[in-house]
Amino acid sequence: MVLSRIRNFSIVAHIDHGKSTLADRLLSLTGTMDAKKAVDQVLDSMDLERERGITIKAHTVRLLYRARDGQEYTLNLIDTPGHVDFSYEVSRALAACEGALLIVDAAQGIEAQTLANFYLASDANLAIIPVVNKIDLPAADVEGTRNQITETLDLDGTEALAISAKHGTGVPEVLEAIVARVPPPQGDPDAPLKALVFDSYYDSYQGVVVYVRLTDGRVRPGTRVLLMSNGRSYDVQQVGVFSPDMRPVEELSAGQVGYLTASIKRVADAKVGETITETARPTAAPFPGYRDAKPMVFAGLYSIEDTDYEALRDALEKLRLNDPAFTYEPETSLALGYGFRCGFLGMLHMEIVQERLEREFDLSLIVTAPSVQYKVLTTAGEVLDIDNPSKLPPPDRIEQMDEPYVKSSVFVPTEFMTAIYKLAQEKRGEHRSLEYHGKRVHIRFDFPLAEIVVDFYDRLKSISKGYASFDYELSDFRPSDLVKLDILLNGDPVDALSVIVHRDKAYEKGKALVEKLRGVIPRQLFEVAIQAAIGSRVIARETVKAMGKNVTAKCYGGDITRKRKLLERQKEGKKRMKQVGKVEVPQEAFLSVLKS
Amino acid sequence: MSPAHTEGGLRQTRPGSASADNPSELAPLSSTLADNPPESTELGFYVHVPFCAKRCGYCSFNTAPLEDGTMARYLEALHREIDLLGGIAWSSRVRLSTIFFGGGTPSLLAAEELGAVLARIRARFDVAADAEVTVECNPESVTRDKLAGYRAAGVNRLSLGVQSLDDSILPRLGRLHDARGARVAFEAARAAGCDNLSVDLMYGLPGLDPDGWTRAVEAVLDWEPDHLSAYGLTLDAGSLWGAAGVEGLPTEDTQIDQYWRLARAAAARGLEHYEISNYARPGRRSRHNQIYWRAAEYLAAGPGACGFVGRLRYANVKATPRYCETLAGGELPIASSEHLSKGQRLAERLILGLRTADGIPAALLETRLGGDARLRDLVERWRARALLVDVDDRVRLSEAGFLLSDALFVELL
Repeated sequence: MVLSRIRNFSIVAHIDHGKSTLADRLLSLTGTMDAKKAVDQVLDSMDLERERGITIKAHTVRLLYRARDGQEYTLNLIDTPGHVDFSYEVSRALAACEGALLIVDAAQGIEAQTLANFYLASDANLAIIPVVNKIDLPAADVEGTRNQITETLDLDGTEALAISAKHGTGVPEVLEAIVARVPPPQGDPDAPLKALVFDSYYDSYQGVVVYVRLTDGRVRPGTRVLLMSNGRSYDVQQVGVFSPDMRPVEELSAGQVGYLTASIKRVADAKVGETITETARPTAAPFPGYRDAKPMVFAGLYSIEDTDYEALRDALEKLRLNDPAFTYEPETSLALGYGFRCGFLGMLHMEIVQERLEREFDLSLIVTAPSVQYKVLTTAGEVLDIDNPSKLPPPDRIEQMDEPYVKSSVFVPTEFMTAIYKLAQEKRGEHRSLEYHGKRVHIRFDFPLAEIVVDFYDRLKSISKGYASFDYELSDFRPSDLVKLDILLNGDPVDALSVIVHRDKAYEKGKALVEKLRGVIPRQLFEVAIQAAIGSRVIARETVKAMGKNVTAKCYGGDITRKRKLLERQKEGKKRMKQVGKVEVPQEAFLSVLKS
Repeated sequence: MSPAHTEGGLRQTRPGSASADNPSELAPLSSTLADNPPESTELGFYVHVPFCAKRCGYCSFNTAPLEDGTMARYLEALHREIDLLGGIAWSSRVRLSTIFFGGGTPSLLAAEELGAVLARIRARFDVAADAEVTVECNPESVTRDKLAGYRAAGVNRLSLGVQSLDDSILPRLGRLHDARGARVAFEAARAAGCDNLSVDLMYGLPGLDPDGWTRAVEAVLDWEPDHLSAYGLTLDAGSLWGAAGVEGLPTEDTQIDQYWRLARAAAARGLEHYEISNYARPGRRSRHNQIYWRAAEYLAAGPGACGFVGRLRYANVKATPRYCETLAGGELPIASSEHLSKGQRLAERLILGLRTADGIPAALLETRLGGDARLRDLVERWRARALLVDVDDRVRLSEAGFLLSDALFVELL
């Protein structure tokens, strides 16, 4: 294949600006897929992705397009994950491209993720084609959006395409622009193999299927390849392209996008960002920018039934085959028994893992309050990484505690500025800069990661009527005055409910927490005292009254079956309870820690 | 008709998974009564009379308005059902020890109508000479003459639905009698020669304060009934109040207070608190209702009536017109049935038996506890709080335990 007729591109956009709709259009216009249904199978193929309307894994489709110049071009669309939890994956997918379509909603304008994606794309030196979408909307402001693109993004807004992906308006021009404005890949097919892994997944028949972009060389079945980050060699079994199903080909060569299989057993052995070369004739240097995905949020995972511990371990092991970004290691909790401390890229990632464990492995789980990883300098001079509040040394052994901070961007219409600043203050945000872009402002804050992992995004959306957008990246660790807040049930501390909080917020947090727990802990035969304490000092208390009456007044001949079935249903509900000491604590109590 | 039939949950659909505790589950299960002979030779017999002059707000029972001709059609069907039940091969081998007319409002039946039904039962079944024959009565629908007619037909126990003696509360309940009418009906029953007379009361009612309740309890106890049933108001989803809500409900603490006021007053008069909601003078417990709480067997006739024979719990068609049509076609009107697994059978014996002062054999509880350390621990905590008490080789709930009983029952399933 001639390099001059290949274009590798991706589509980036803020959520809901129409990325998937445009992808659908491109597929049907090039005859790659006829039915919309089949398209849905290709992009967003996991159930969870469809339900949540977001892309979690990267996807790739090869489009064959006969352009107006009469030539047939191979357009490789590399779809990228659409959530800030997965920004590293996005950056690797972009590194496999020469160009990107940057979609901007004509009614919403530029949002935080538009900006974040723009930076990622320009960092990767991509040709960026701005596309103003949804021009069919009554509120569409095409000229205003073009101006915004010019002012904010330093792109030529007048060159932005104006389209309606929904109606197909202007979409043929998008295909032409890809051909005209995205440079063809460069590379030497005869140089040593150099291929970038931008995604991979585990298939129980073929082992790991590795998505690759070749910059140099060739690969075909039988080629012995070297994975440069771990030094392992494998014999390639199959190479192919996505059209959109996997279709084996004889060879992939420089500039092309496709997949390879080589009996690789674990996704962790062919991680995103990896460089693949020939064992016999390795390339000089791997691609820059490779890093291990680093978990940012940690939580304990416990099965409600103690007997399911083995099942949970097996499930975690299987899940990790496909998701090296999450980590787990055994831990024990006095309250919950044996479980695992798991690390996630963010809250979304955590929810996805939890949902998959419950759905695909039929487990009932308790997830403890998520925590970030703190750096603790002890009086003995050691530095500890603490991601579990119950592992925090006693206060008299702590010299200093540092917590992770993020740099963040908030994009919001000016009318919501006051509310945003108030929220930022509440979340210990530090203001960095403010820029006006017409009717909107771009505010930069530094936040402690712990303050934004949980409900920050929801709060932001609600106070801005959905208009604010948000993006962040981890920056550094800063000293902070932190304390461990313990929760006691009838005087006994429940380690799985402990949280690390800033001292100034401990009272408020403790009060909110015990109130929340009072609402979710059912009445028992005895009174249950719920206390929040810092060390030995109780700072808040609530009481769950003892059960007064729980009785069926009438139970005669016709009532017996109904009564038994009612009790059977209640018993099912009780399976979601964990016995902590003598107190029965429902699953949601552990999650309520983070929502209060 | 095709009866809905289930067996021990979903096990019937998984023939490969017959549990060790019940290998016979592999055998095809029949939902016909004929194929499910009772284990006992003594059965109860429940007759449902679905009609009410008016539906009460708290009631979710199967009732139907009484219109012209419906009573006659119902009685014809009921007679036919008794014939069909009596025609089952094993029927000749059993004896009926109790017959209970419940409703609805059975006292809407004229004495001759009731007498004819009883006569038909006697014609088709062996009815014990000392059988307990009960009729539920609403005060406004009885007269001394009618009750004397019932008695002549063989009725030897009456249960009077008084519910309340507060004339501001009774109409809110949807009842058609007043306090004076209740008293008159009670006296009419005594005058008609009824020496086994029960009164129904309700507490936890909207607008009922504790002192009002005490007055009602004392007044009724002054009548010296042989038996008293008193129900804390429950808002069933199927009732008008359950669906639409009701104002002025007392707090939980008030309901509990009312439970204890009743328990104390009844004890002071020598009544035995022999089931969560039932009190009796010695020797005057309801024999029929004890069949239910002992998880023993009973036949049932009438729309929506539920029976239990062998391991089969079954329920009749609820709608009276459907009930009549099915019987006109010569079929028993069974709408649904369920074979109890061994585990369900045990669970029922536990949770029904523990409703009563007799409780359950300690050995039966031990069977359930088996090697379940968590459950054993929980039961010990009920004992430690004197909610559960041991009496010789039996285990029972205390009066405090009765109040919390469902919390234990859910664990014992």
